[in-house]
Amino acid sequence: MLKSKTFVKKTRSGGVMKVVREHYLRDDIWCGSEVCTECKQESTVLQKDACMESSLCSYPHYLVPDTNVVLHQIDILEDPVICNVIILQTVLQEVRHRSAPVYKRLKDIIHEKEKRFYTFTNEHHRDTFIEREPGESANDRNDRAIRVAVKWYSQHLKTFESDTDGLKVVLLTNDQGNKQKAQDNGLLVYKCEEYVKSLIANPELVDRLALSSDDKNEITSSKVLFPEHLPLSRIQTGIKSSSFLQGTFRASRDNYLEATVFVQGEGEDSTEVLIQGLQNLNRAVHQDVVAVQLLPRSEWVAPSSVVLQDEGTAKDDEDAEEEEGKLRTAAVEAARKPTGKVVGIIKRNWRPFCGMLNVSQIKESTRHLFTPADRRIPRIRIETRQASTLSGQRIMVAIDGWPKDSRYPNGHFVRSLGGAGEKDTEEEVLLLEHDVPHQAFSQAVLSFLPKMPWAITPEDMMKREDLRPLTVCSVDPPGCTDIDDALHCRELENGNLEVGVHIADVSHFIRPGNALDKEAANRGTTVYLCGKRIDMVPELLSSNLCSLRSNVDRLAFSCIWEINHKAEILKTRFTKSVINSKASLTYAEAQMRIDDTNKNDDITKSLRGLNKLAKILKRQRIEKGALTLSSLEVRFHMDSETHDPIDLQTKELMETNSMVEEFMLLANISVAQKIYDEFSECALLRKHPAPPPSNYDILIKAAKSKEVKIHTDSAKALADSLDAAKVDGFPYFNTLLRILATRCMMQAVYFCSGMDSDFHHYGLASPIYTHFTSPIRRYADIIVHRLLAVAIGADTTYPDLMDKHKQSALCNNLNYRHKMSQYAQRASVAFHTQLFFKSRGILNEEGFVLFVRKNAIIVLIPKFGLEGTVFFDSKDKVSPNIVFEEEGPTLSVEQHKFHIFDKVKVTISLDDSNIQHQKIRMALIEPVIPGVSVPAPDTERPAKKQKLDH
Amino acid sequence: MATVQVSEAEKVYILHGIRDDLRVDGRGCEDYRHMEIETDVVSNTDGSAKVTLGHTAVLVGVKAEIGKPRPTVPAEGYLEFFVDCSANATPEFEGRGGEELGTKLSNTLYKVFNNKRSIDLKSLCICAGEHCWVLYVDVLLLQCDGNLYDAISVAIKAALFNTKIPKVHISSDEEGGKEIELSDDPYDCMRLNVENVPCIVTLCKVGHRHVVDATLQEKACSVASLIISVTHKGTITCMRKVGGGSLDPESIFEMTEAGKRVGKALHAPLMKLLEQEESLGKKRQKVGFLG
Repeated sequence: MLKSKTFVKKTRSGGVMKVVREHYLRDDIWCGSEVCTECKQESTVLQKDACMESSLCSYPHYLVPDTNVVLHQIDILEDPVICNVIILQTVLQEVRHRSAPVYKRLKDIIHEKEKRFYTFTNEHHRDTFIEREPGESANDRNDRAIRVAVKWYSQHLKTFESDTDGLKVVLLTNDQGNKQKAQDNGLLVYKCEEYVKSLIANPELVDRLALSSDDKNEITSSKVLFPEHLPLSRIQTGIKSSSFLQGTFRASRDNYLEATVFVQGEGEDSTEVLIQGLQNLNRAVHQDVVAVQLLPRSEWVAPSSVVLQDEGTAKDDEDAEEEEGKLRTAAVEAARKPTGKVVGIIKRNWRPFCGMLNVSQIKESTRHLFTPADRRIPRIRIETRQASTLSGQRIMVAIDGWPKDSRYPNGHFVRSLGGAGEKDTEEEVLLLEHDVPHQAFSQAVLSFLPKMPWAITPEDMMKREDLRPLTVCSVDPPGCTDIDDALHCRELENGNLEVGVHIADVSHFIRPGNALDKEAANRGTTVYLCGKRIDMVPELLSSNLCSLRSNVDRLAFSCIWEINHKAEILKTRFTKSVINSKASLTYAEAQMRIDDTNKNDDITKSLRGLNKLAKILKRQRIEKGALTLSSLEVRFHMDSETHDPIDLQTKELMETNSMVEEFMLLANISVAQKIYDEFSECALLRKHPAPPPSNYDILIKAAKSKEVKIHTDSAKALADSLDAAKVDGFPYFNTLLRILATRCMMQAVYFCSGMDSDFHHYGLASPIYTHFTSPIRRYADIIVHRLLAVAIGADTTYPDLMDKHKQSALCNNLNYRHKMSQYAQRASVAFHTQLFFKSRGILNEEGFVLFVRKNAIIVLIPKFGLEGTVFFDSKDKVSPNIVFEEEGPTLSVEQHKFHIFDKVKVTISLDDSNIQHQKIRMALIEPVIPGVSVPAPDTERPAKKQKLDH
Repeated sequence: MATVQVSEAEKVYILHGIRDDLRVDGRGCEDYRHMEIETDVVSNTDGSAKVTLGHTAVLVGVKAEIGKPRPTVPAEGYLEFFVDCSANATPEFEGRGGEELGTKLSNTLYKVFNNKRSIDLKSLCICAGEHCWVLYVDVLLLQCDGNLYDAISVAIKAALFNTKIPKVHISSDEEGGKEIELSDDPYDCMRLNVENVPCIVTLCKVGHRHVVDATLQEKACSVASLIISVTHKGTITCMRKVGGGSLDPESIFEMTEAGKRVGKALHAPLMKLLEQEESLGKKRQKVGFLG
C-alpha cells in the first residue's frame, strides 16, 4: 500500500519547498516476540518470560519508552537490568533527529543481543501507521503513533495469552498529557521515575535517573540567578543581522569566572570575545556553541591574570559576587579585549565528564557536588545515595540541564571508573578526557572481519604480483605486533639496485563505507599509551592478517624503485602484491647483522644495501634543508607482574632506525607525488607549514645568551646553524637547542589537495608529502592506499573518495584525533612518571633551565626526559624579590640571576595533595639562594630500595 | 498546431451539418464534448488538475513560491505561465516544434488570468514591496484533439481552486529585520478565491454559423475563430480573434453573445463539481493517469 508524506520546508535562500515522500505500508512486519505464533519471523528478540522485578508490574512485560524517555534516560536503558524493550521507529527517528550521540548509543544497545531491544517499524506497518490530522502538531502525532503501536502490541499479544500468564506491554512516558491519553485508551503506562523506583531488585538504578524538569524546583531556591536564554529563532535573526556572534565557548582553565568565545569569521580571520562573570557566562559550558552579544566598548575589560578555582562547599551567589569583584582590575586601554555576554545556546556539547565527588558535609544528604577532572567544566550537582562508596572513586557524570535558578548544573551519576590513583582507572580517565574512542569493537564492526581461517584465494593471487620469492624482512621496535612495513633490496643484472617497500594492504580488508571502515575513520589513529595500545582496527587485522609477520604469506601494497648506487631513483612503480617476509627483526638485531662481518646471508646483504642507500638519502635530504630535531622520549621498564614502571630511560636511536625511516619517507613522497598527479583535487596529503618568524624569538634569544647565532631565514639555514651550534664544555647544549627548536615548530596536518594551495613540508624539506606506510595504525594511510589503488587501476573508486569536501571533513577529524592521541600519550607518560616517582620518594637530580618565566623557571631533567616548574612565589611563604627581564630573558631571584641553559640541581617529588591533579614538584637545591632553595635531602632510603630490588 | 487533412466532400458534409445544428458527432452547435476533471493529481505541486475534453487532455500544476513583487504593484503577487507542448500530444511537437504554440498559448493565458479582476492578487502579498507569492502555472498538453484553450482554462481554474498555499507569518525583531516563518502544520494553508476566474470559450466560425468546442475536423473547415474569456456572471474579460479569415461585425456580435451564454453555463456545473470533489476529502479514490 502506498501513501505519501507531504510537508513544506523553508529553503536556505528563503523560499518555500514542498516535499513529497512516498511511504510504503506493509503487512509483513513482525512483532519480534517469542510467544507470537502468528508472525512468520525467523528469529525473535523479545523473550517469553520477560521478567524484571518490578513492584508495579508483577507480570512479564515489555517496555516501550517514548522519545523523551530515551533522550533523557539513556543511561538507564543502557543498564543490563533493562531488557526486553521495544523501540518504535517513531522514537528512533525522533531520537536521531534530536541527538546524534544518544542515537548512536541507542543503536549500540539495539545491536547488543543480550539486551533484547527490538526495533518495531511501526511507521511502515499497515495497522500502526497513522496520518497527521488537521490541527495536530508533529509531536502530538508522534505521541499518538506511539500509543497506537502500544495498543496494537497489547492486542496482538493478548491473542496468545492462553498459555502465558498475561504478557503485557508497558509504555514509559514522562509527558503528563500523553500518559493521560494512554490511560484513557486503556494502556498500561508509567512515568519512567515511577517504573525505575519500582525495580526493587536494583535500587542503584535510581541514581542514574536524569532529573526531569519538573523535579528541579525542589532542588534549588526559586531565586533566578541567570538571565533567560533567547529562543533559537531570535538567535538566528540576531546572527543574521550581526547583532549577535556565534562561536565556540572555551572556558578558562585557571579562572572559573572567565571564558573566551572563539568566533570563526570569513575565511581566515577569527576573533575571540572575552566573557567575564557568572551572569555573562550564563550557564554556557566548555565547548558549547553559543550566541554572544558584545558589550559597549566602555565595558570592555582585559583578561585577568588571577587564578580562581571554584572550591569548597556549594556556594551561594554572594560569594560569587565577591570573587567577581576581584576580577575588576584596572587595565591598560590597550590590553582590553572585546567583551561580551552569552545570550543563548545554539548547541550544547555535553558529554559525560570524569571526575570525583565532593561529599556533602550533611551526612544524610543525597545531593552532592561533583568536581570534573577538566578544570574548564563547572561543578555539577548530582543526587546519589551511594556517596560514601563513591567518594575516593573516579566517576562519570552527565549533565541533564542547567536551570536559570541554579548555581550549578544538575546531573546524574553514570558509572564508576574505579578508585582514584589506580592505574586502570587513571588510564580510563585519560582516554575519556582526551576523547579517545576505546570501547571494544561492536558486533557490527566485527562482522566485517574476514572469516578465519583465512587464506589468500587464487583470485587474489591473479590480481596481485607474486613477490614471495624476494628476500623481504621487517625491522621494528622490540615487542611490535602490528608490523605494517617490510623492505627488500637486491642487485639487478644491470648493476642497479631494486628496493621495495611493502606496506600491509589494509584497504583490501577494510572496504569503504562499511561499519568497520566507519569505526576506523572515527578512531583515526591507534593510540599508544605506556604499556597499552588502543587499536584503530580490530586485533585480528592489526596483529595478524595485516601484520607482515615472518614466514607467512601476506597481502601487501608495494612501492618498488630502481635505484643506482648514487641513490638516484631511475624508476618507480606501485603494485598490489603478495609477500612472504623472511625475518622480523628489531632495530638492534638488524644493526647487529649489518655490523657482523661474518654474516653473509641474503637478509644481511639486503640490509647492508638498504643501509648504504639510506645514508646517502639522508645526506641528500639534509643538504636540501631537512631538520633533525630532538625531543626526549622516555621508555619505561615495566614490572612484568604489576605493570608498574620500575625504571625509565630515554630512548636511544640506532642507525637502523634511520634506515627504515629513510625508506618510509621515500615511499611517502613517491606516493604523494603519484596520487597528486592523478587526483589533483582530492589527494590526501600532509603538510607542515613554516612557522612564523616570531616563533623563533625564544630560540634566537636563548642561543644568543651563549653567543651562538641561529639563522632562521630558511629550513636549510636553521639546520646548518643548529649543526654548527656548539659550546665548549657543554656537550648537551646542542640537544637543548634542538629541543627548543622543536617547540617553535607548527603542527603538521592532513589536508585535501583541492582545498589548499600550500603543500610544503617544512620539517622534511619536501615539496609534497603524505602518509602511506602505516595503514594499520593511521586511517589517513588507508585513504592514501585507496587513492593509489585507483590510480594504478587495482581497485575501484567510490563517490566519497572523490568528494573534496567530505575528504576535507575527514582530514579535520584525523587531525583532531591525532592531536588528542598525542595529548593522551603525553598524559600517559606523565602519569607513569608520577607512579615512578611515587615509588622512589624524593630524588635530587641535575637539570637545565629550559625556559624562564615571570615567577618560575622550567627545568629539564635529561636523565628522565622530565620537565618541571620551580616556582619562586608561593601562597604560604613570603615571596622573594623577583625581577624578570624580557630581554634575555632572565629572572633575578634575590641575588641570583637565572639564564636559559643554566645548570641547576633540584629535588623531585610527587605532590599528591590533590588526588585528582597529582603533579611532580621540583624544588631548587643548587644554586643555593637563602630562603628559596631547599637543603639536599637524603635520598638513600634503604626501606624503599629493598622493596624495589625484588 | 495539430491539424488533420479534410477532403472537399468531408468539408461540405460538416458544413451542411452545422448549418442544420447537427455536428458529425451528434452534438448541437453550442454543446461541449464529454469532459472529465480530476484535481490534486500531482502530489508535489501545491495545486493540480487534469482535464480531458473529448480526446484533448491537459494537465495543469500550480507551484507557489516566494518571490519579490513587481515594483509597479508592490502589494500584489503575480502568476507565471508556461505551456509545455509535449511530443506525447502529437509528433509535430518533437524537439522545439511545440515552442511557438506554447508561447502563443501562454501569452493568451497571461492576458486572461494574470489580473486582479480574475484573481485577488492582493491576497498573494506577504509583505508589501518585499515578499509575495508567485504562482507558477505549468500547463502540459498530453493530447491534442482541438479546443485547447477551453480545456486549458477549465484545468487552470480547477487547479487554482485546488491550490493550497502554506500559511506564513512574518516575525520582525527590534532591528526591523523580517523573517518569514512557516507554519509547521501541513493542513494550515491558504486557499484562493476562484469565483471570478474566467473560462475561455472558443467559437469557430464554420460557414455562416459558429460552433463551440470544435473538433480538429471542424477546425479545418473554419476560417477564423474567436477566443472569449467569460466570468461566471457572463462578463467578457478578454477577446481575441485567431485564424486567417475575417469576421464581419454582425457575426462577432452573435458569437460574443453565444460565448457569454455558453461560458455562464459552463461555470456553474464546474464549480459544483469541484466543490463536490473537495468535500470527499481524503476518502476520495484517486483515478490518476491509469484510471
